[in-house]
Amino acid sequence: MKRKTLLIVMIMFLSYTILWAAGQTEKNAPAELEKVDFLLNWKITGDHAPYYVAQKFGWFAEEGLDVNIIVGQGSGYSVQSIDSNKADIAISDAPVPITNREKGANVKIIGIIFDKHPNCSFFWKDSGITKPQDLAGKTIAVPATDGHKLMWPAFAKQIGVDPASVTFVNIEPAAKVSALASRNADVAFELYTGKPFMEKAIPADKLGYFIWADYGFNAYAHSYITSDETIAKNPEMLKKFLKVVYRAWDYTLQHPEESIDILSEYHPINKADYVANLKVVMEFFKTDRYKNKGIGYIDPTRIRETYNLVDQYQQKLSFPVEDCYDDSLLPNPMYKYNF
Amino acid sequence: MNTHTREKNLMMKFGKFAQRSFVDNFKSVLVIIGFFLFWELSVRLLHTPEYILPTPSSAISHLLFKQADANYNWALHIRTTVFEFLVGYCVTAVLGVGLAIVIVWSKRFKKLSMPMFTFINSLPIIAVAPIILLWMGYGIKTNILIAFLVSFFPVIINTMTGLDSIEDDLLDLVRYLHASKLQIFLKIRIPNSLPYIFSGLKICSTMSIVGAIVGEFIASDRGLGYIIINSQYSMDTPPIFSALIVISLAGAALYWVVSLFERLLMPWAFKSQKV
Amino acid sequence: MEKSINAAIRKIVPKLLYFFIFLAIWQGVVMVFKIKVFILPSPILVFQHLLDPAIAVKYNWWRHISATLMEVLASFIATAIVGIALAVLISWSRLFSQLLSPIIILFNSLPKIALAPLFLMWFGYGFLPNILVAFMIAFFPVIINTSAGLIAVDDDLLDLVRYLNASKLQVFVKIRIPNSLPFIFAGLKISATMCVVGSIVGEFIAAEKGLGYLLRDAQAFIDTPTMFACLLLLSAIGLTLFSFIGFLEKVCMPWENVQVEK
Repeated sequence: MKRKTLLIVMIMFLSYTILWAAGQTEKNAPAELEKVDFLLNWKITGDHAPYYVAQKFGWFAEEGLDVNIIVGQGSGYSVQSIDSNKADIAISDAPVPITNREKGANVKIIGIIFDKHPNCSFFWKDSGITKPQDLAGKTIAVPATDGHKLMWPAFAKQIGVDPASVTFVNIEPAAKVSALASRNADVAFELYTGKPFMEKAIPADKLGYFIWADYGFNAYAHSYITSDETIAKNPEMLKKFLKVVYRAWDYTLQHPEESIDILSEYHPINKADYVANLKVVMEFFKTDRYKNKGIGYIDPTRIRETYNLVDQYQQKLSFPVEDCYDDSLLPNPMYKYNF
Repeated sequence: MNTHTREKNLMMKFGKFAQRSFVDNFKSVLVIIGFFLFWELSVRLLHTPEYILPTPSSAISHLLFKQADANYNWALHIRTTVFEFLVGYCVTAVLGVGLAIVIVWSKRFKKLSMPMFTFINSLPIIAVAPIILLWMGYGIKTNILIAFLVSFFPVIINTMTGLDSIEDDLLDLVRYLHASKLQIFLKIRIPNSLPYIFSGLKICSTMSIVGAIVGEFIASDRGLGYIIINSQYSMDTPPIFSALIVISLAGAALYWVVSLFERLLMPWAFKSQKV
Repeated sequence: MEKSINAAIRKIVPKLLYFFIFLAIWQGVVMVFKIKVFILPSPILVFQHLLDPAIAVKYNWWRHISATLMEVLASFIATAIVGIALAVLISWSRLFSQLLSPIIILFNSLPKIALAPLFLMWFGYGFLPNILVAFMIAFFPVIINTSAGLIAVDDDLLDLVRYLNASKLQVFVKIRIPNSLPFIFAGLKISATMCVVGSIVGEFIAAEKGLGYLLRDAQAFIDTPTMFACLLLLSAIGLTLFSFIGFLEKVCMPWENVQVEK
């Protein structure tokens, strides 16, 4: 009996050694830079180019930061990670940290990404849908964890549609285009920035869409979030981070092709597709606010609108709107978008 | 029979074995090539759009030739996946067989652990992986853990069944001869269970690559799984199929290696293959 | 009669006991370490979401449970029948073995979820496509194990019956198939749990209902109690199917020795 146990223990020890050896192949960064774990909202898209631009040009290192960019799993996971200190800063759809603050997640929004909300609904033009109200009674394909599904009750009520009048089909995010192209669903909810990818399957002249922001949906979308704890203990790091990030955004908005080139050095992407994607992203930055106040500006009115949408349609909120964001960490001066 | 003749017999048998293996494998390769041709022709004849199903030639050219528009860095990603899946497989094989032996040895341990293993195995890993990720973070260890969780069960079940299925008469005989539990284990149970163990290892081989890939979908920014998921978003379908071709070949290669081991360690089991 | 009830109770009670101990430890850990609900919910909360009418009603549990249960059972039956049939075919005919084996092995190394957009395009979504996906994921163990069982027959026994001029069919039916029963049951046990996983993968690809659908919704709202409730239910389905096969195994193979010595 003892011999057998010893043998098994030895084998397990050996196995663990192999695992440990594998771990050693991960590189170590120079010690004097401050390590920051930055979690994206999802897999790589064109709007992630700025972080790699900053990485490539060494702007993070200039500010004394060693940023580890981590591919994401959705806004929900971003909030969970920040709250459990698995990441220092993350990207998340603005309503998600607000909703979860009520459930005990101590996270705040510290900077905005898209100024105009890119939520969109796509459908075949020949399906007869011409206005958002036509969505009632249709089958909608959307991943369950997608911001569109979460915000649907709010948007539905805004346009006067009963949220329960649609049938949702939960799909794999990869299947968004396929679900619509195969007509397995009447409508697909996807960001307008995904239009170039939709057009690979459905010709542009047959693809109908409407952007939620054009129908009064004025919430904030992708934002940078962090924990209350980090704001209290390490505001300097956050300020440096945001300064570099918005500098990188400024650069990316002026040099989209080059930025995608840089992105493709880090990730296996198809450049032509992603340049098209990034150019659509840029459209959502071309607002008066970003021209005059700067990229990333948190408008108190719009934050309040986002807060109200959550409060009315998703989750009663017991904290004041000021608790869900902190705009003191934005760069000073702000980078203005001169488009 | 003198030594010389016996050796000659063995050589002849080995020669026949080698010849038959070669013919078998050659025919397998032919079947695979046939399948690829069928795929290529169907796509061309049906004019299937590339975003749904590209031709194998498109997939292979994305793999082998530098693309103007993208930098896939296949070497890095293939290396990552292969490393994860091989290490995952070895760990699973060793731990799986080891655990099964412990389970059969100790009835108490079996009562404790079998429900837990069955429980773990019924959980769809693609649902549980984000939770694991939250607890363990990113990295190659998490990937290997996921690969293990996906593929350990067949090894355990098969090994257990093998160790248990001994003929009553045989057991009675050796007990009558005062064999100890350990002796029974080493001389009867383990040799008897070899066919079962190898079946389990063969099943595990293809499953561990699926596990490694699923792990990469969730918990990585490198590897063939990562290429797939990245390309899926932008509807860039050819590299998805390039990755899938490499993945199935890798899984099949491991399966073949395990079968080879099986043939070498249990030559007696294959004489009867001629039905 | 009394004896078998006693025996049944003696088997189930320890297992239930272990389950409750496990729940108690889980509850203890959550309370002692003050773990937040969206990292690890307590079992009490999980069961509330499942059973407490006030909370559970909005999830419409039975609709989703029955959808997934049907998929699991249907795919399991399909897997068992088709898997064993294919294995018999492969063992009987060298030609079929050469034709089918490479395709089956290559196919099984593919992570089916990677083909999600394709499946949706070709098969749509719903009950039948989900069964198809589950089948594709779960059939391999049955084929491999059944083939192994049919081949691994004692040489001496084969020589004996051939000497007695048994035909290939007789050898197959009277010797190979009974010999392979332990292998087949092992394969079925493995496939049972994989049918659960496969049904969920099918539902993740696209679905309107089912435990996979509910799981994704719960993930979206970071509703961890419901997530864990779904996972527990899925495991329960898998365990039940697994135990049922174990029971069938004892019925079909009463001669199989039970480990008696300490």
